[in-house]
Amino acid sequence: MTTPAAINASLRGDNALPLRPASQVMQLERLGAMHQSRLSFMRILIRRIMRERWQIDPARFELDDQGYGTLVYEIRTPHDLFSFVLFSDYLSPEERNDRVIATKWDLTMALVAGSVEPEQLAELRRNVPVQEAGRLDARVLVLSRANRSARNFDTVVGLLAAGRQPDVAQIARVGYLYRTTAVYGSGKLGMADWEKVSTRYPDFARPFSAEMFVCWMLRNFSLLQAEHIARHRAPETFRPMETEIKRYFGIGNSTGLGMAPYLINHPQLINRWVEMRELALARVRTLGQLDDRRRLELRELIDRCSSHMQETVTEDEWQTDNNRQVLKDLDALHDRVTEHLESWDQLLRWSEDNCTLQGQELLVSILLELYPELVEDLEDYMSADEYLDLDPLMPVCELQRVIEQRYAWALQVDFGKDGARETFWYRSEEKMEPRLGSASCDDGREKQMALGVAYAVRKCYDQLCEYVRQHPRHTTARFMVARPKLRGIVRRIQSMNRCVYGDIQANLLDRDVLPMHLLRAKLAFFGVSKFDPRSRLWVRNTMFQGAPLMEEIGRTFNDDWFMPLAPQR
Amino acid sequence: MHVSMNELKAALRRCFEATGYFVGNYEDAGNMILWLEKHGLDGLGELRRALPYINLDSDKPLSTVVYEDSTSAIIDSNGRSALNCIAAAVDLAHAKALESSLATVTVHNCHNRKFVLKALTDCGRRGISVVAYWQNGSRTVTEHTAAIRAGERYPSYSEATTSLGGEPDERQTLTIICSSRVDLTSSLQHSSGNRNARHVSPQQLALNKEHSVDHGIEIDPDLWDEINRIGTGILVENTERSRQGAGGR
Repeated sequence: MTTPAAINASLRGDNALPLRPASQVMQLERLGAMHQSRLSFMRILIRRIMRERWQIDPARFELDDQGYGTLVYEIRTPHDLFSFVLFSDYLSPEERNDRVIATKWDLTMALVAGSVEPEQLAELRRNVPVQEAGRLDARVLVLSRANRSARNFDTVVGLLAAGRQPDVAQIARVGYLYRTTAVYGSGKLGMADWEKVSTRYPDFARPFSAEMFVCWMLRNFSLLQAEHIARHRAPETFRPMETEIKRYFGIGNSTGLGMAPYLINHPQLINRWVEMRELALARVRTLGQLDDRRRLELRELIDRCSSHMQETVTEDEWQTDNNRQVLKDLDALHDRVTEHLESWDQLLRWSEDNCTLQGQELLVSILLELYPELVEDLEDYMSADEYLDLDPLMPVCELQRVIEQRYAWALQVDFGKDGARETFWYRSEEKMEPRLGSASCDDGREKQMALGVAYAVRKCYDQLCEYVRQHPRHTTARFMVARPKLRGIVRRIQSMNRCVYGDIQANLLDRDVLPMHLLRAKLAFFGVSKFDPRSRLWVRNTMFQGAPLMEEIGRTFNDDWFMPLAPQR
Repeated sequence: MHVSMNELKAALRRCFEATGYFVGNYEDAGNMILWLEKHGLDGLGELRRALPYINLDSDKPLSTVVYEDSTSAIIDSNGRSALNCIAAAVDLAHAKALESSLATVTVHNCHNRKFVLKALTDCGRRGISVVAYWQNGSRTVTEHTAAIRAGERYPSYSEATTSLGGEPDERQTLTIICSSRVDLTSSLQHSSGNRNARHVSPQQLALNKEHSVDHGIEIDPDLWDEINRIGTGILVENTERSRQGAGGR
């Protein structure tokens, strides 16, 4: 078991492990090339559930023959009791809309602390199905909703009712029965604050753990509901779904711009996630013994990733082409490790010269799979204290040096260049939905969100240089009294300077910025697979595909659902 | 009505952003109000009194340093709310204390000074001890003091009604004493004719916070609506074209 002191010593100082540099890791395009890993939040959650054998039992099961009604599961974890409450309602095809602006859904859900009494259930019944139009209280941890993949769902129900199994090739194309379109936590709509969840409920005291749990419960329900409807439709011919096929169903997710500002507004948390992932890689690079068993496992994982990629069907041409490139990378990797493999360090360096960014980052995820003992104890350190504190004593000359060293990437951007400040990010009056505008043809630039970190650094630096010429001996505190408008960016610069990785290195105001890289980075930390961009602003993906099922809790578990493959029929 | 702390913080940030507060300042303002409310010190009551005036600050000059030496400074806030200027004054006291062991910063013409408590708490967390003192009111004068020891998480806070007469040129002054070497504490004296005295200990503030973490915040619906109404100023009108900027098909 590791400790904060041991982690700190591995990240900084004389005895630090050889971490990849921020200039490499924090580039937006590389972050957008990341894949799920052993440290992804879904993997961490499932390890907990399976190893601690959470007990999940229905406390209320009121579904009609069509699968509509109310369902409550009680979840007994090592520390507490929680309730998962789900409402299943009829939704006409015309009303089915995955956008955040929708007002009705097939399923709506909540995760609640403790048992749910009838009075509270009635209150949830009034508020959960209307989502943002309702209000909740601090007993509720998570609120979510989902829509059916209508074609897939109806087909699967029809097959099960006829005593047949779903077509595996079809699941490979669309690997879910439901898509979740929003998962809210952290105090939204009156729910429990993260401060409460993280201090009162140790089972969910890791980032997005409760939110991921709700998605996993949704996945379980989607399978249960399909079987339930099929059974009632044709009790004579119905056959339940085979476990292997069930496991191959995940939950669909479509993620839009709403997630992008989160990454910019929580830089210390994102830095922490990157630090843990990079520390895991540095441990493998330095401490991971390369023996015959690992060589064999490596080749198996490379082959599995190849098969996974071959089975991945994406509509987006850009992503399809990327996946083809990754397949070439994997072929080259396979050949390389068969012919020549002396050390992980050497292999990683080889990949940097010979593979695409996606291929390089996939190799990182593969290496983390090989050494659970070097990786998994970092899972308890994915949280961060998020204080953007000013260092008032720092001399202005030092602040200038910090910017020149840590934000060299921002100072290199030519903001006078055509298009360098073309994009602006704003909130629409429609549900406060985050949107992108173009300065040349859209209104609202004056109300833009403060996401242009690189530009803010540039402006700060220019004013600071002028100030340093006049007052070279002043402190930052004195500078802040004189230039209060710079308080936000100075505080950010100083705080991120205390982090190993710091800010995401990209000009988010550029005309050609690709926000989907931000979305994908966060989704990779969540642990999703099968990215399929629908535009540069919106990414479809699959959650929990290959993960153990609820009914498998208590059985053997080897935590090996990385890059799941279609079951062999 | 019931809201979460995070919800209140987000709504306050929108409100102050829409009012023209700078990046960094609107976060500070939201955090200062939430801090008082969360710790049972009526941050929302203070906000209600401040709200009619907050949009006036954008027309006022920025704070200016009137006097400064190695251990002290006098700042004129030019009638601004503490919500957008007091954190910088506390930071200046912090920096001077680190250089000289003990420093004093006096802030004149600053309203809503109770909001200084969040900035004091940040100093305590960062290993600096601070005391603040101020008086309020023109007919009936109340006095207030708050202090935190180095490394502590919660300050103490005292208030009382005095028998002092208000001065016509009352300067809305706040005095900050900050030390990197001495642990400072404060409480109001009993002997000066004070009445309605109240002392809130760090322990009581900690208990108040635990309650807020467990149950969230109760807020008057009218005030909640007003905060959100002002916050709509940051939202951009919805059009068919803007919907395309959300990435949907």
